[in-house]
Amino acid sequence: MQAIEYFSVECPEALGGEYYEQIANDVLLDHNLLRVISKIHIFIDPKVPLFVAVGTLKRIKTVVRVGDFANVNPLEGKTTLVITDETYLAPMLKIFWERFGKDKVEQPDRFTVILYGVTATPAEIEEIAVADPSESLHKDLIYALRCIAPEGFRLRSEVFSKEKFSYVASENTLAEDIGELVKQKFALMGETPP
Amino acid sequence: MTLVPVTYKGGIFQHDIVEDLIEDLGGYIVQKHIIAAEVVLQCFVPREDIELIREISRPLFGEVTDSPLVGTEIAVVSMSLEIHHLPHPSCDIAEYVRRLGAKSNMVSLARGPGKRIAGLNDEERDVINEHDLAVFLLGNFETCIEYKMPTLRRGIEVPIVLAGGPDISVLKKIVDPPVEGYVGNVGRFMRRTKEGEQLLKLDEIVAEITRVLEKKREGIAKDPLSVSPARLMGLIRENVPEILDVTSPTPLTVQMAGLRVKLPYDAFAEKVRKIEIEDGIRLGDIAEVLPSRMRDYILVRILPFSETNTVV
Repeated sequence: MQAIEYFSVECPEALGGEYYEQIANDVLLDHNLLRVISKIHIFIDPKVPLFVAVGTLKRIKTVVRVGDFANVNPLEGKTTLVITDETYLAPMLKIFWERFGKDKVEQPDRFTVILYGVTATPAEIEEIAVADPSESLHKDLIYALRCIAPEGFRLRSEVFSKEKFSYVASENTLAEDIGELVKQKFALMGETPP
Repeated sequence: MTLVPVTYKGGIFQHDIVEDLIEDLGGYIVQKHIIAAEVVLQCFVPREDIELIREISRPLFGEVTDSPLVGTEIAVVSMSLEIHHLPHPSCDIAEYVRRLGAKSNMVSLARGPGKRIAGLNDEERDVINEHDLAVFLLGNFETCIEYKMPTLRRGIEVPIVLAGGPDISVLKKIVDPPVEGYVGNVGRFMRRTKEGEQLLKLDEIVAEITRVLEKKREGIAKDPLSVSPARLMGLIRENVPEILDVTSPTPLTVQMAGLRVKLPYDAFAEKVRKIEIEDGIRLGDIAEVLPSRMRDYILVRILPFSETNTVV
């Protein structure tokens, strides 16, 4: 797994900051987000109280195709697919059923799918798009940041773009110049806000 | 005869021998769990007879261990039911004290999280006060703990063990007036406690709870209870057979100075009050039978000798 380029937690309370570094690490790892985030800076001030998380995202390969997780072997009028990763098996079967019809698709076991008498060439089958993981990316990221932020910080200002994100939360009304703070935190990573 | 809390673990084969032995010796079985082919008995037995039980249960591969928390009900107070606090650390701690014999209940506050917005309502306060001890699990920042602790402890009369992220010395400094017990470096975390260091931390929490409860026990010993809660448990079981139909894991929960009867108050309170203990002394004479704030259960608070002038 690729490591995060920049990961830092800033907090006036040293020990509290350490714990939050651990929490952030655990949550991002649990949600499989380390492969997506390129830089992240978290700032917490329990005195205000305020929680700020800013960061940048990696470009991830958007679409998963049949060829990415299955070997397609044509043989005497039938095509056998050997699945190496089950994650996308269900959406793939759904697409096959729609496209070829249920009677032409057979799944003898977990790792094999056989297509009978389909006209598509193996190359065409390999190119079929199955899923787009980036669709749920923002959903996961927002959920993870909510997990990391101290609970009870329910007043939030969030910006999520394709490449960058900022998440500010507090239990009090956010100050008007909060944008300035976000800008400062982005500057620490050598970036500009989205 | 002093009764000490112990846990017996052994095979299911002939475990009734051990059960009969404990009862014949004048001990009480507080909880009995049958897990697959294993039996776990949490009981009070006379101190001088522990060796005898060990002796007799040896051919059955039985094991007798001290468990100082048997016969106590502990409230593990978590700030909310959100993913932030559950299942780690709240459930981990609740489960760990259960292993040592305590009956632990999780009390999650409706408005516990946050700093300024944290609060405790009257129902939560009363439920916590029905326990022998409350373990408050707070967060990682000393600023927040210092700010919210006075609000959260308002009206709590039972001993409090405070667990939080800062070091123990810091916790002692910021909480005023002091609470009974402190455990530092256990704030909010998002991983399971399964590594050695984390388990040591759980042991530290249990040690602190034991220390605080021991102190409470000493206090009770100075003015002894009119009847032992474990004895009342047996009597209620005999006299109110409806309790046997209750499906909850501990229909009768023994506390240090009382017990919780998981039957509706309106229907059964009178029946419980009228139970005869000995020589015409009824349960209602030496204990208060109160409605619990937990569902519609009955709470029995045993009065001390100084109030009743009887010990049975």
